[in-house]
Amino acid sequence: MTCPDQQDNRPPPARALQGIGVSPGIVAATVVVFKRRTVRAGWHHLPPDHIEHEVDRFAGAIKAAGDELLLLREKLADDLADALSIIDSHLLMLKDKMIVERTIGIIRHKNVNAEWALAQALSEIKERFDRIDDSYIRERFTDIKHVADRVFGLLSGREHQPFAGEGQAVILVANDFSPEDTLRMQAGNVHGFLTEKGGVTSHTAIVARALGLPAVVGLEHATSLLTTGDAIILDGGSGQIVLDPAPEEMRRVQEENRCDGLLADELARYIHLSSETADGVAVRLSANIETLAELPAVLHFGSDGIGLFRSELDYFNNRRPPNEEQLVAIYQQLLAAMSPHPVTVRTLDVGGDKFLNRFPGNKAWLDRERNPALGLRSIRFSLYEREIFRSQLRALFRASVHGRLRILLPLVSAPAELRQAKEIVAEVLAELAENGYSVAQGVELGIMVEVPSAVVMADVFAAEVDFFAIGTNDLIQFSLAIDRGNQYVAHLYEPFHPAVLRMIRQTVEAGHACNISVSLCGEMASDPLCVPVLLGMGLDELSMRPAVVPRIRRLLRHCRSDELRQISRQALQCGDSDQVRDMLARQLPALCPKEFYQ
Amino acid sequence: MRAEKSILVGGIRGIHGRVATRLAGIADRYGVRLFLRHDGKTVECSSILDVLALALVRGATVGLLAEGPRAESALAAAADIINDQDEA
Repeated sequence: MTCPDQQDNRPPPARALQGIGVSPGIVAATVVVFKRRTVRAGWHHLPPDHIEHEVDRFAGAIKAAGDELLLLREKLADDLADALSIIDSHLLMLKDKMIVERTIGIIRHKNVNAEWALAQALSEIKERFDRIDDSYIRERFTDIKHVADRVFGLLSGREHQPFAGEGQAVILVANDFSPEDTLRMQAGNVHGFLTEKGGVTSHTAIVARALGLPAVVGLEHATSLLTTGDAIILDGGSGQIVLDPAPEEMRRVQEENRCDGLLADELARYIHLSSETADGVAVRLSANIETLAELPAVLHFGSDGIGLFRSELDYFNNRRPPNEEQLVAIYQQLLAAMSPHPVTVRTLDVGGDKFLNRFPGNKAWLDRERNPALGLRSIRFSLYEREIFRSQLRALFRASVHGRLRILLPLVSAPAELRQAKEIVAEVLAELAENGYSVAQGVELGIMVEVPSAVVMADVFAAEVDFFAIGTNDLIQFSLAIDRGNQYVAHLYEPFHPAVLRMIRQTVEAGHACNISVSLCGEMASDPLCVPVLLGMGLDELSMRPAVVPRIRRLLRHCRSDELRQISRQALQCGDSDQVRDMLARQLPALCPKEFYQ
Repeated sequence: MRAEKSILVGGIRGIHGRVATRLAGIADRYGVRLFLRHDGKTVECSSILDVLALALVRGATVGLLAEGPRAESALAAAADIINDQDEA
């Protein structure tokens, strides 16, 4: 049976696939597909006259892997000291006798193929490392495996392609990306990511957002459905992938991206400028991150510090909570990389929409949560599971000597909670002193202001903490009683609700009356419409996704502080959110034409 | 020339990847052979895996041995790295 449609000569409609959009933006480019199957090193017995050829083949793969790392090293910026040091240690591993000489020895003595010999050498190394008591050093075996995997890939003839073709934009497609892959992405000409695995909080998603690159995850069979060289259009917002798009559609998206590219070039000029208004009032523009993998993006986009390090991810990634040593290692790197800029680490903020159901003993509790947003979460969880809280505090203070640390307690709703937390902090500090650890002077302790009661009591809190961080996402939900995840009421979620604006002002005023700094993290901090109103209220710091920093800095540098105060005053006089928006639509274009006439 | 001394591991995470990488760099830069001795085993610093497998944690005592024309200065530089309390 023929459909009437097939009789005319229209081209077949483009096929589309649906994944999960995790980092917004639309990009049209060809794909590079990485098939990272687990390498099964088959065993082949080699005739004697093939042995030296096999040794050469192995040596060639080692050299190629080394060249690839050297190339990557050259492309990476010098300020990524940590990344460079990882590459250097991987280069050493590639030359190590336990890998090279041992593998060649096995090829020669057992007359076997290089893959099999390398797998043997690797399992001998693993045996040695498995015996190590210290978990941190033991886990370095993962690095060795990464390095060996690269050699396996080269031996099998696959994967010997640089991540990005020279000068040509590509979208990377893989089952998933390892932390090391993400380093390579910063060097390549990568314009988007597509993975088979993962969700919104996956490593790829986080890194893509930090870099401001579109990404779609969770698209099953992506590496089989696509072949290197295929053209696609990827929409990192909706999660849609268009296969074989029409050439004019490709060109249209590419033209849009070219314009975005021009904007990015324009904004790049603001990366190295200071964060201050046209009349010289400094405001800290810092970054929200949740993993060390985002640090290169933070440094790249020139943030003035970390305004919010969400510490949960390190607890979710493993079956057990991380131990103190593992946390020290993470916090130390974080602080050292950002020094002398401040780093604000929010203590464990679990519960609500982020369950820690893998924690022993807590499953039962969480099962009984009828109203998790109002349940055992955040600071309440920490005060309930004190050992977990203490271990995080110990790790934070131990790492504090490596930079400028600020500790942030989430969801504090009553002064009693703050006082309990402070008692635990004092105990932890005494313990550390007893154990002979040095702790930095002047570690600041602050609270998130995200529950309406904390706003009302801000004057009381201000006298007892070193800083406030307003978390607008939760503050708006709690004060307007709106669940953003509910499609029937989500439209009532309104940052410009006068109640929200007044609460922010009240918090800033209470903080400044006690001479403590007040920052704001939440989506409002990266919304160009909201930012002038916030700045006019006198916030000392705005914290946002790393990639947005240059844009907000441009806005900041084009405004004068008296103009901003004026805008803020007018916004606070409005009786509803529509009036606020109308007023902003009239006033803002004159304030910063570059931002608002686009 | 040969130089030898005993050193306390100072870094919080012991001798891990970056410390081992820096030690290999010292041997290269000074053109010496550099060895670590611990628990009856001696390994050369050119093998990062051998060094890591010694599993030297903070507070461990390790023998450091340098061989070559600039052994003394290499030893001093390597000792600083091992002893460095700030080494993350």
